[in-house]
Order: sequence, then structure tokens, then C-alpha cells
Amino acid sequence: MKLIFAGVLAGLMATTAAKADEIVFTSWGGTTQEAQTKSWAEPFAASSGIKVLQDGPTDYGKLKAMVDAKNVTWDVVDVEMDFAIKAAKDGLLEPIDFAAVPKADLDPRFSNENAVGSFYYSFVLAWNKGAVTGEPASWADMFDTKKFPGKRTFYKWSAPGVIEIALLADGVPADKLYPLDLDRAFKKLDTIKSDIVWWGGGAESQQLIASGEAAFGQLWNGRVFALEKDGADVGVSWNQNLTAADVLVVPKGAKNKDAAMKFLAAATSPTGQAKFAEASGYAPINTKAKAEMLADVVKGLPDAHVEGQINLDMNYWAEHRDEIATRWYAWQAK
Amino acid sequence: MSVEVQQGIATPRIPAGLGGLLPALILIGLFFVVPVLALLLRSVTDPALGLQNYAALLGDGTYARVFFNTFLVAAVVTIVTVLVAFPIAWMLAIMPQALASILFGIIILSMWTNLLTRTYAWMVLLQRTGVINRGLMAAGIIDQPLPLINNLTGVSIGMVYIMLPFMILPLVGTLRAIDPMTLRAAALCGASPLAAFRRILLPLSLPGIAAGGLMVFVMSLGYFVTPALLGGTSNMMLAEMVAQMIQSLLNWGLGSAAAFILLVVTMALYALQLRLVGSKRAAGGA
Repeated sequence: MKLIFAGVLAGLMATTAAKADEIVFTSWGGTTQEAQTKSWAEPFAASSGIKVLQDGPTDYGKLKAMVDAKNVTWDVVDVEMDFAIKAAKDGLLEPIDFAAVPKADLDPRFSNENAVGSFYYSFVLAWNKGAVTGEPASWADMFDTKKFPGKRTFYKWSAPGVIEIALLADGVPADKLYPLDLDRAFKKLDTIKSDIVWWGGGAESQQLIASGEAAFGQLWNGRVFALEKDGADVGVSWNQNLTAADVLVVPKGAKNKDAAMKFLAAATSPTGQAKFAEASGYAPINTKAKAEMLADVVKGLPDAHVEGQINLDMNYWAEHRDEIATRWYAWQAK
Repeated sequence: MSVEVQQGIATPRIPAGLGGLLPALILIGLFFVVPVLALLLRSVTDPALGLQNYAALLGDGTYARVFFNTFLVAAVVTIVTVLVAFPIAWMLAIMPQALASILFGIIILSMWTNLLTRTYAWMVLLQRTGVINRGLMAAGIIDQPLPLINNLTGVSIGMVYIMLPFMILPLVGTLRAIDPMTLRAAALCGASPLAAFRRILLPLSLPGIAAGGLMVFVMSLGYFVTPALLGGTSNMMLAEMVAQMIQSLLNWGLGSAAAFILLVVTMALYALQLRLVGSKRAAGGA
């Protein structure tokens, strides 16, 4: 009953789209969105007079529904890059107006016609020092339940990361990961399935590790950074860290497109990116940002750990997203 | 769906003066009937015209397993809810009115607390490092934490707790309507308390159990938050699968078909419930 009420309420609220001098920014909630609010939205609102309303979490089904129904209430959305590539192909996104968004200093890996980088991150191996004896050093250790007993936590949704981790743990060399051998990956995952606790969102991953509910797991580096800042007793291994990016997109038919483009310019500016990186521990996608950052912050970013770093293949994922997802959820439900 | 169930119980008959109901009917039509029709339409047109979404759902082992899980969880939750609710309802029915009102208040109060908050509270209690496991381990009763969460046990505990009021309220009504003299008469005739329960109280309270049980079962079928947070992926329920199809796979056609199957099953059970409640009313009115 409450769910229905919540649904109706959400529907009513969704019809109050942002006015001309407002935009709605949607991201993933938690410490990440807080950092985006402080580093991008608040300074942007102060300098431009455009109010930035926060919404979330990002929901791809909702985004598609809005575009299909031609009632788009989100103006800027933080999405995973493989989704952005697929969504652009499906006609769900506005092209970026590069006359309004300076492109020269943006890392070309994370920008395309329909998306500019938001930040880039690494999946790292993190553990609760109180719950683990010894130090896991590679993804293979996450599959070794004898050496490292306890629950391990992985990202619940079908997305770049876990499949690659299973393959790496099974001995596939980093440069031979793609095309992904799904049979082999699921077979490897089967060996620890009963020890897996899934996390569906960043805050949940932090809670699981901090409480020791899961002894160790695959986390976004920014979430581990936040745990460390809070004084949690966590260890982290950057060995074989897997990079992927979030990008900012404007859904097709967004009502405040021009204001949205201005926001993108501010968010991807060297200052916006530097501030966000300092607040979140994620890496900037503007190549000039590092000049504005403190040296010890730069040291903790994913691009300070390029040795053994593996770039998840966003284009491969964009192309095989549905196929992998169907198998992924079928395997999970078994 | 659950809203309809509630309203159905409150007004199973259409009273006279239909005209005054028009605004309400328009509201229901606009916010319930139209979306449901849109859903049905989408399930047979997305991505192409035809029944391919239904064929895919019914022909795939994964989805069959999710359907089975959904009914299994709903059945377990219903049975446990009945077993827990009965003694509470009985106590409420026979205790002095003033005390019963306070207890009623407490039960209703739990329904006013946010569902998500209550479910998170159960996470804190049930997890490996949670209050229950830590307590039992500190007391030396167990060495290893009990697996109380991310499985059927977790879902059942969380959902029984949430469903209890929906079982207790109709049951109290039924139990209060039973003449206490019948039990005294049974005792006078030499029936043991157990025999009196089995042969007098239980049969007389059956309509209440059936009504509450069906309501709990039907509500459980479509539950999302609690199974998603307290269950594991291997006992996923239908509502969660629908969310996945729509949010992650962006497959609105398949998601709509799954949702529509759930709706049809729910409506069938609801029709059954209406008949049961109707017969109870007939019996009670005599």
C-alpha cells in the first residue's frame, strides 16, 4: 500500500519539472552525489544564478520511460559509460553542445558526441582489517575461500567488473580479457557463489565492509577513500585495479538543455573536476585539473596506480550489454 | 494492487448513490485502470506485436524458478503469519477493552513507520554481525553466525513482521464475534482445552483466517522492498525481477508481461477472497 502511495507521490512530484532558471541533476546518491553537489552544483548556482535541484538515484528504466513518454524531468544525469554508449545508439540522449562545453582539455577516453566524462574510478579490492587475517593481494585471493574465508561482496548489477574479475582470478591475462569468455567466468563465480553478498549501491558496499558483514570485496575506490577518511579500519589493494568511467548525459527532450550544457561546462572545468576529485577520491577527466590539486590527493587517485591497471572495455560492454545481462541475472537467480 | 485489496474489503457491495462516487471512480480509472491497460498493451506490443514476451517468460527456466520462489515465499510467509497472529488475535479478543485498545495502537503504530526503515532495522538485527548473532555468540550458544539474512529465512522474518497487522485485524474481528459461551459449553461437556480449540474455536475462526491469510498471500506475491533487502539473489521474487527487466535490461515489454501475469494471479486470488469474505458476512449476519 505504501509502495503505491510512494509511486503516486513520485509521479506527482515528477510532473513538477525544473523551471527555466533551474535544472535537475540526477546521480547515485550517497557520498558521491554529495561531493558533486558541493563541487559542481553549489558553485555553479552561485555564479550562474541557475538553481540545481538534486534527484536520484540514477535509474536507467526511468530515464528511458521519460524519453519515451516525452516528459523528461531530468536535465543532467550521471550514468555509467557503457550505458551512455548504448543509450546514444538507442536515441535516448541529446548531443553535447561543444560550443558551450569546452572540449580541448577533456580526456578523450571519456567523452563522445553524447556524453562528457563525470569522473573515472577504479574497482579495487578492499577489506576489513578486523575480519581478515593477512592481506589479500589479487582478485585470485577473493576466490580462495581456504586462504581467505568469509563473505565477499561484489557489485550486484550486470556491469563491467565482476566478469572480468572472475576471469583474471582464473588466470586469463589482462590483454586477453575481451571478448569475454562468459562460460568460464560463471564457472569461476560458481566456486564462491554461496560466499557472495551482493551490494546494490555504494553506501551498501561501505556498510558491508565497515561492519565486517563482508570480510572483503570489490569496491569503487572513492567509497574506500570515504571509509578511510571516516577512520574505518580498511585495507585496500590496487593490484589489477579496473577502471571505468561515469559520464554526464542530457536525456533526449530535456526541458532545460541550454542551462544543462552550462552546467556540464562547469562540472568538467579544471576547477570543478579538481574539487570533486579532492572530495571523492575519484579521478578527474579534465587533464588540467591536477594542476589545481594538492599533491597528496593526486597520489590517492586511480591514475596514480596505473601499474597493473586494467581498462574495462566500455565499447565491448555497450555492444553486449543485453546479452551479458540476461545471462548474469539468470545465473544469479539460480 | 494492495490498495485495491483494501478497498475491496471495505466496500464489497456497491451502495446506492453511485453519482457521488463518480470523482472517486474517475480517479481510480485514471490512476489504476489506465496504467494497467497501458501495461497490458506494452506487454503485447514491445518490441513487436505478439505474445513473444509471454512465450519467453513461460518457456524459460529462470523465470519459472522466480515464479516458483515467489509463491514459495508467499506461502511460507502466510503460514507463519497465521501461526503467529492467531494467539495475538485471541489475546486481543478476550482481554479487557482498554488494554486491548493500547495493544491495538501499538500494532497499528508499526504500520505507520516507514517500510524501508523497518526493513533496514531487520538488517541490523539479522546480519552476521548483527544484534541477534552477536548476542547468541556472546552467550556461547553458537560459534558461527547463523545465516539469517540474504536467504529465505531473512525474507520470511521480515515479511511476517510486516504482514502481521493485516492478519491480526481481520482475525480479531472474527474471534470477537464468537460467543465465548460456546467455549464454556464445550468445557462443561468435558472437552479438554485442546479439543475445544480444535473443534470449536478453530472452525469458527476459519473465515477470519482465510480472509487474512489470502490478503497476506496476495500482498506477499507482489512485495519488493523486503525481499530485495533481506533476500538473496537466488530467492528472487517476481517484483524484483520485473524491476530488473525494466531498470537494467530496459526491456519494458518483458517486464510488463511479467507484471501482468502477477496481476492476473493476484486478481484470481482476490476474487476467491471476495467470495470467502462474502460467505463469512452471510454467516455472520444470520
